[in-house]
Amino acid sequence: MLKRHAGWVIAAPATLAVIIFLVLPVAATIGTTFGDPDGLFAAYADFFNSGFRRNVLWRTLEISLITTAISLFVGFLTAYVVAKSPGRLKSLLIIAAVFPLLTGVVVRSFAWLIMLGKNGILNNFLVAIGVTNEPLSMLYTQGAVIAAMVYLFVPLTILTLVGVLENIPEDVVQASASLGATPAATFRQVILPLAVPGLIVGAVLVFTGSFTAYATPQLVGGERQMVMGTLMYQRAMVSFDWVGASTIAAIMVVLTITVVLAMSRMARRLNPMAT
Amino acid sequence: MTLPLTIENLTAHYGPTKVLEDLSLSVGAGELVSLLGASGCGKTTTLRLVAGFLEPTAGTILLGGKDLTKLPAYKRDIGLVFQNYALFPHLSVLENVAFGLKQRGISPAERQKRALAMLERVGLSPLADRLPGALSGGQKQRVALARALVIEPPLLMFDEPLSNLDAKLRIDMRVEIRQLQRANGTTSVYVTHDQEEAFSISDRVAIMNAGRIMQFDTPEVLYQRPANAFVARFVGFENLIPMHVLARQGEQVIAEAAGGVKLHFNQDRFGQIPDDFVLAARADGLAATANLAAEGLPAMLGLRTYLGRAYQYQCETAAGLLVANGSLSDPLRSGDGARLVPLPEQCCILAPEHS
Amino acid sequence: MMTSRIHPLLLLSTVLVYIFLMGPLIIVFGASLSDTTYLTFPPQGLTLRWFENIFKIGAFRRTIVTSLELAFLATGLALFIGIPAAYALNRYRVQLPTWLSTVFVLPILVPEIVFGFSLLKSVAVGASAPIFVALLIGHTLLVLPYCVRVISASLASFDFSIEEAAVSLGSPPIKTFFTVVLPNVRSGVIAAFILAFITSINDVSTSLFLTGPGISTLPIQILAHVEQFFDPTIASVSVLLMLLTVAVMAIIERTLGLTFLAK
Repeated sequence: MLKRHAGWVIAAPATLAVIIFLVLPVAATIGTTFGDPDGLFAAYADFFNSGFRRNVLWRTLEISLITTAISLFVGFLTAYVVAKSPGRLKSLLIIAAVFPLLTGVVVRSFAWLIMLGKNGILNNFLVAIGVTNEPLSMLYTQGAVIAAMVYLFVPLTILTLVGVLENIPEDVVQASASLGATPAATFRQVILPLAVPGLIVGAVLVFTGSFTAYATPQLVGGERQMVMGTLMYQRAMVSFDWVGASTIAAIMVVLTITVVLAMSRMARRLNPMAT
Repeated sequence: MTLPLTIENLTAHYGPTKVLEDLSLSVGAGELVSLLGASGCGKTTTLRLVAGFLEPTAGTILLGGKDLTKLPAYKRDIGLVFQNYALFPHLSVLENVAFGLKQRGISPAERQKRALAMLERVGLSPLADRLPGALSGGQKQRVALARALVIEPPLLMFDEPLSNLDAKLRIDMRVEIRQLQRANGTTSVYVTHDQEEAFSISDRVAIMNAGRIMQFDTPEVLYQRPANAFVARFVGFENLIPMHVLARQGEQVIAEAAGGVKLHFNQDRFGQIPDDFVLAARADGLAATANLAAEGLPAMLGLRTYLGRAYQYQCETAAGLLVANGSLSDPLRSGDGARLVPLPEQCCILAPEHS
Repeated sequence: MMTSRIHPLLLLSTVLVYIFLMGPLIIVFGASLSDTTYLTFPPQGLTLRWFENIFKIGAFRRTIVTSLELAFLATGLALFIGIPAAYALNRYRVQLPTWLSTVFVLPILVPEIVFGFSLLKSVAVGASAPIFVALLIGHTLLVLPYCVRVISASLASFDFSIEEAAVSLGSPPIKTFFTVVLPNVRSGVIAAFILAFITSINDVSTSLFLTGPGISTLPIQILAHVEQFFDPTIASVSVLLMLLTVAVMAIIERTLGLTFLAK
């Protein structure tokens, strides 16, 4: 008896913990959005009827998409160089990417506060070289949020893609050269297509991460660059509109899960190594 | 098109370690030459140097008189077949085969035609649209072969192409490789650690050790007349017995082995015999007999094993542990004393090893 | 490797990326030493008084302690239930349905901020659990997937016939687990511990809703402090957190070797 169910028994505490403390509470949160007496989707109608909230949603999507595109591009080029570097230099470059990753979001976002502020290094520099006479207000702009978010996610894309690039067998690259492909042709026709599944994984991580971010937009974007995360906090803790906050939460969950499922299906279809 | 390959005084280092030392080798046009040796002997390094994936410290590589040494790999025009096939996993079988033609700027219609024709030759045209992941090992290797052949390279190189296949398939594939190579008359270099494979497929074989070629000759010569103790051991001469010449009487030479056993040798058969030499014999070349009057090495018989065509004995002698065969009609018992008689037509006389 | 050389422009861009990665952190470090009451870089004058200042502010003292307590307890709890789960998922792979391993992916699929808010509603308010308990539950679940995944990965390469060999030699199953299985996944456990600890210490989104006036965590306290003051104290707290990262990387180097990070 015990033997037959041993697997279940051993896995039970962790499984139950996830179900009781994560699945059920989140389901309850989503559930409350459908409890409006005015109709099943009244909470969502309410959300999309507000121009301000629609704006927040579009802004968040825009910031996330731009952040994803830049992070992937920068991360891919850098990962390519890192993967090709000789042993010692490679570990050094990887450590240099791991360090910011292990340093918290708050610290890394705060760094941008110092840099972009009126007394910040960037303004001092611009004034010093005479580009501008008085400090520009760079904080609380969309550009600031995107810069800080890219900063947040580039180490992640570098590390993900280094792994992917290193998994491309060396002899496949050599086979390409032996068949007469120039380094550029090998990059375009062999390396890039084989890295697509990794790029998709990176895209999912960056997009979902930036769509649901709180600390960075709060510090660098403030009230003026309100995004879904900061809006949700404001609805819940300032306006005490829990149904409104739950609606935002539900939108985030649905979007995250949709993106993850769609992208992982795409990655599976595009992943030739899987078969 | 087929061209001779000439390697002159090639030396290569991995960091401070010398992996190849002053290696010279020439492969005639249309010839198939194997580089044979244990891992670390430098055979794969040689292949990678010729392919252009490594840079030599010194030496030149000439293909039909053209110096390849400084040319990047993608300009060398050498067909390569890899141990792990190295197929492009994201391209179909047909696209894999057409890849080299595409790099050469051949029109899509033409490259499809040529790639299909080549797939037909290796018997894979029904699988043209599959991805490599869906193929068996043998099929993958055929695709790799087709991909290397379709660009009609003046030189083909194989890097242990069969080592990932099972024994039966390995034999079929090596016949197939040899037939295709013969039909195209392409100069080929074949790297392997499998002696049987090298001997069965090659015109000539270079046996390598520690970055040098120990002997370069036809399989027949290597098998019957190894030039030194290393090659002898490599091709299966289990018994290497050091001898010292005591007396010469015309063509007759009397030599002594450890323990003071005297044996007679005829220079008509063995050529000039040096004062110190090594007698090399396979188990086949040492006959175990109960006749203690026979001229041979006194031995104490140990374990007997049955080989089908003979019995084989582990023998203790003054010259150390030897392996000898005995006839099936006259089985000997372990623990018996015996004489091990060298059969001249199956023995070799080699220069002593430097220790 | 000489099959393809790297284009100089690509090298230049890599150098710039690494300046971009390291620069802001160096600036934080510099700003923490500045002898000014506002944040600036390069530092004007050098002082360590902002580091002293951290410990003069009660809220920082308290939140540092809370964050450390939370990180240790949550990581311990997550390992306590996560190691058996990872073991079961590998050892009884055939018996257990595939959805079970998906359960441990769920915490990654659910945005942290949504998870934190849901815990606030269900556990902190709904079940009126004390704040610290709600935080502990939140952090445990936050780091549980890391523990299960990392230890699963190292168990995946563990040959369970070794365990059967030990049992056949007379070692009881539970003892076998501790003497044979666990030592073989030691590096996985260490990695899981480190990842979980650092994730918990740095967490904002889950804790955001679960902290109150009485109890808060260090990152939340930093956020609150920045809204009111813009002095170098925050920079020096940040430097402390970076030192923690350095310490963690040093531990990884000592125990697993830095090549581990490259995986």
